[in-house]
Amino acid sequence: MTPETNILNKLLGRAGFYLLIVAIVLFSLFPFYWALNSSFKGEQELFEPASYLPRNFTTINYQGVFSNGNFMQALFNSAWVSAAVVLLSLVVGAFAAYALGRLQFRGRTAMMYIVLAMTMFPQISILSGLFTTVREIGVYGSPLSLILTYPIFTLPFTVWVLTSFFKGLPDEIEQAALVDGATGFQTFYMIMLPLTAPALVTTGLLAFIAAWNEYLYALTFTLTNRAAQTVPVAIAQFNGMVARQEPIAEVMAAAMVVTLPLIVLVVVFQKRIVAGLTAGAVKG
Amino acid sequence: MGRLPPSFFIYWEFIITVIGTISKSEELPASYNTGLKFIALLLFVIALGATVFYVQSIFSISEVQMGLSGESSLILVFLHNAGITMPLLVLGLSVWLVITAFQIIRGNPEAVRWASVIVFWMAVGAIILGVFLIFQQSAGSDTVEADLGRGLLAGVPFILLAAVTGGASWWLSRNSVLVNRNQTLTARNARMAWNLLIPTIAILIIVAARPLEKTFIESLTDKRFGSADPVNFVGLSNYTQLLGFRFDTVSCRKADDGTCTRDPNGSPRWELIDRELLREGYRSVGYLQLGSDQALVLSGTDSDFLTGIGNTLYFTFFSVTLELSLGLFIAMVVNSNFAGRGFMRAVMLIPWAIPTVISARLWELMLRDNQSGIINKVLLDLHIIDQSQAWLSNSGLQLNALIMVDVWKTTPFMALLLLAGLQLIPSDLYEAASVDGANRWVQFRSITLPLLRPVIGIALIFRTLDALRVFDVFNVLLGRQKLSMATYNYEVLIQNQQGGYASAVSVIIFVLIAVFTFLYVRSVRIEAA
Repeated sequence: MTPETNILNKLLGRAGFYLLIVAIVLFSLFPFYWALNSSFKGEQELFEPASYLPRNFTTINYQGVFSNGNFMQALFNSAWVSAAVVLLSLVVGAFAAYALGRLQFRGRTAMMYIVLAMTMFPQISILSGLFTTVREIGVYGSPLSLILTYPIFTLPFTVWVLTSFFKGLPDEIEQAALVDGATGFQTFYMIMLPLTAPALVTTGLLAFIAAWNEYLYALTFTLTNRAAQTVPVAIAQFNGMVARQEPIAEVMAAAMVVTLPLIVLVVVFQKRIVAGLTAGAVKG
Repeated sequence: MGRLPPSFFIYWEFIITVIGTISKSEELPASYNTGLKFIALLLFVIALGATVFYVQSIFSISEVQMGLSGESSLILVFLHNAGITMPLLVLGLSVWLVITAFQIIRGNPEAVRWASVIVFWMAVGAIILGVFLIFQQSAGSDTVEADLGRGLLAGVPFILLAAVTGGASWWLSRNSVLVNRNQTLTARNARMAWNLLIPTIAILIIVAARPLEKTFIESLTDKRFGSADPVNFVGLSNYTQLLGFRFDTVSCRKADDGTCTRDPNGSPRWELIDRELLREGYRSVGYLQLGSDQALVLSGTDSDFLTGIGNTLYFTFFSVTLELSLGLFIAMVVNSNFAGRGFMRAVMLIPWAIPTVISARLWELMLRDNQSGIINKVLLDLHIIDQSQAWLSNSGLQLNALIMVDVWKTTPFMALLLLAGLQLIPSDLYEAASVDGANRWVQFRSITLPLLRPVIGIALIFRTLDALRVFDVFNVLLGRQKLSMATYNYEVLIQNQQGGYASAVSVIIFVLIAVFTFLYVRSVRIEAA
């Protein structure tokens, strides 16, 4: 083998590698690009053979979305429901995680197993029991029903991920606090909690995305009340001005409005999100 | 009131003991004695009050009264209205409160510590409940007018309870010597741990344990929503209806010349199953051809559900297999060092971050059945297909289209999980292997795969669990055309309002997923220390 062919092989390998990378990027982003592309087309153009760029560029769909009262209401509902769920899960979850991650007590391992099993809890399997509960409590058809029920999936997950972060903190800090005369709770919220701020951001983000994207409970508990619906339900049941035909281009514009903030979050916090996801799934 | 719960006898014993010890001197400073006695009394009153209040509220339900008068089985009616969790919880906590009260009187510092936990959380719980009741009860509805008085009547007792227990908690924290005397660090930590865990436990009981229990109990009834008929217990009949199946053989429909008739895509048409079976409610679910004119037919009493199970299993098997192999491939490509790795990670997170409903709508557009659908257009341009396919309305393609959507959404996520595992493999292993002359494939087989096996196992179980409960894509893209287990459950519950039957479906899904969860939990080791 001459040096020339060796270099050529390397170059070819490098080119093939980047070709693969481009393919993966295309695979991941193309549907997203397609939605963006379609959201700038007129309704009519969507029934013609597909084109990679809008033939008649228009922003009418976005105008339609922003003047659609139902959709704006749904956006507002989603925002405050998700924020409330995140706040609740973080506060309650950080408590539990500190107990499980830093304190020794009887029953700790059992609690850990319960929390881990709960992260896999099939939401669908308590749908009918929860449906009855939600109606009995009297929050059926209100966003409160979602704030009450979403912790089923956000809370165990938050506890689990935060526990693994708390476990990673060095013991010396706690001992120093103890020597300085801090009470148990002071040690927790004045010293340990600030140290987990990055983990709180990560889990908060993941819980926010999970609550923002949730569909099953939102559909079940707010089906009868349009004013309480969240974004996924609104998008699944999107109605335009013309009753019989679904305004697909407008749906795509709405999808873009909902997705862009998520994408910004993902791009900014990608490292943290991956760390959080893998802490939840890979590490024990 | 015929019978008394056993805890009443404990209350009685308590009164005797309190009278007996009231004059005894204790090791505590005298000024604290009154306060502690007050707290013991408070715990006792709360325990008694909670039990009486709970028993009264259960027995005032009209169905339970019917049970009491012998019109229906008392045990079943009690189960249906109260369940097991709440009675046990109320009774258990009451007994525990009384025991704690005893111990406080006896001067046990550990009991005082637990009392501080109890009164604090009782105050928090009572405030939440009180405020909630005020809002809930005073709100109007279609039939009742809004009335603040009614709300206050329901809520204020709890606010008062909160004030008293809050006061006790405040007093205990001011006189912290009461709580902290003779306290070991271990005891302090354990008390604090439970203090911190109580909100989580409370939430999980309310939103998970209790609804789950309700689902199990209701699955044994014929409950319907929006119906005035009384709820009856029907034993396991919901389950036998759901899971009833049988195998028979049928022959094909013969044309005049004695050959089998065939439908447009070439598969033979089969005769109906036996009339008697049809009358019993059996409907065919699937055929397995045996020989040229015979087939084994699977029929079930609820063919929709059996088909739903089949669809879900098909979807799960193919999507998870594809995601794992593609994900592993992508993870290995991205694992090498190159400029733009952070960018790649962000790109790979995007499909995962897009709400499933939105990605379903998005693919709905891409999968359109003529040239306005980009998938058809691309495949036509590449000459992979020679005519446009109706991805979402051709019943042979529907599930595959859903698998395509799921693979797109989840493969990058899978790749990220596997990537995290790959990065834990020390690179000197590969260097040593190269020095020994092992090629890439051998390295993959003998280093990567064995070391990655735990991560692959966890990712597999994780994804299988997710795929088994698939709801969003099925609901948005196929509606009622093809059902998964979860969308079937939803249809039965919400569209048909069959609460009891839907609960049985839920229980079956729960049991199925519980098996996988057990595997998952076992594969994630929790260090006992």
